[in-house]
Amino acid sequence: MSQTCWNCGIAVSARFCEQCKALQPPAHDFFEFFGLSRQLALDVKDLEKRFYGLSRQLHPDLFSRKPAREQEYALEASAVLNDAYRTLKDPVSRALYVLKQEGFDIAEQGTKDVPPELLEEVFELNMALEELREGDADARAQLQPARLRFERMRDEIDAAMQLSFAAWHAGNERAKLDDVRGQLNRRKYITNLIARTDEAHVSD
Amino acid sequence: MAYSDKVLDHYNNPRNVGSLDKSSASVGTGMVGAPECGDVMKLQIRVNDVSGIIEEAKFKTFGCGSAIASSSLATEWLKGKTVDEALEIKNTDIVNELSLPPVKIHCSVLAEDAIKAAIGDYRAKQSKQAPAAAQTPAQAVA
Repeated sequence: MSQTCWNCGIAVSARFCEQCKALQPPAHDFFEFFGLSRQLALDVKDLEKRFYGLSRQLHPDLFSRKPAREQEYALEASAVLNDAYRTLKDPVSRALYVLKQEGFDIAEQGTKDVPPELLEEVFELNMALEELREGDADARAQLQPARLRFERMRDEIDAAMQLSFAAWHAGNERAKLDDVRGQLNRRKYITNLIARTDEAHVSD
Repeated sequence: MAYSDKVLDHYNNPRNVGSLDKSSASVGTGMVGAPECGDVMKLQIRVNDVSGIIEEAKFKTFGCGSAIASSSLATEWLKGKTVDEALEIKNTDIVNELSLPPVKIHCSVLAEDAIKAAIGDYRAKQSKQAPAAAQTPAQAVA
């Protein structure tokens, strides 16, 4: 957020200038935008309330009689608002966002970032799934129970991730973020398995 | 995404899909993964212990078309090479051969990692097995 109001020049620290009430350029950090500190364990109900409040305050229609520059800020703010809300309300995309902010580059990971036993496990699960998919009717009948097992694994990861969120909140230890990174990786593998059971249904 | 003809060819007719006996001393196994995509790739080689030439290469990949094509191509290239020659295969060779777009370069990296992991596993097995007699004095010194 800029230090002085673009319109009247006084010092500003809020979304709107205290003196001339002009809308200021939006913060691009999603937490800062919502007036929140960076956190993983987020009260989603509170976030939703903030989202609806800001949607009303920032609606571009409210700025139609304002200077062009302020109209642009309103458009920009609405875009950030939607991105920020979509990213932060979902625990997985929120965790990816926080990891990126904290300097964990998820996209640059390789084999060394996955425990070998997870690769073995996922490989075996994929082999078993492929056998069911390519098997006879009896085998394919086991696809639905397999999907439910994968969903249960995903739910377990989500529960563990919530615990890691809270643990990071308590002490901001980097090791807790590394736990989250590991959980997100495992989750990706499991959700791929779920997607593959669905592919099998489509091709039937 | 538009895949190149070569990717499609390997994807539709993957070469050398399957597995080799993991417990054999002549077989090296590499299991690698790209966590961001949720891909997992297993690549195995069977090496002639006398000539040091890779006689057989097998793979199984669960991932996108580019990951499957990269590992399929890798097994084709591995056969007939010595272990040292195989280590010279670079992911950029795979990128060029398959015309992979920038977003799929990591699939070729995965295949290169798999080759290195399989060779590393083979060499670890060999060094454990063969020079048992030569190792004993060295260990005594240490």
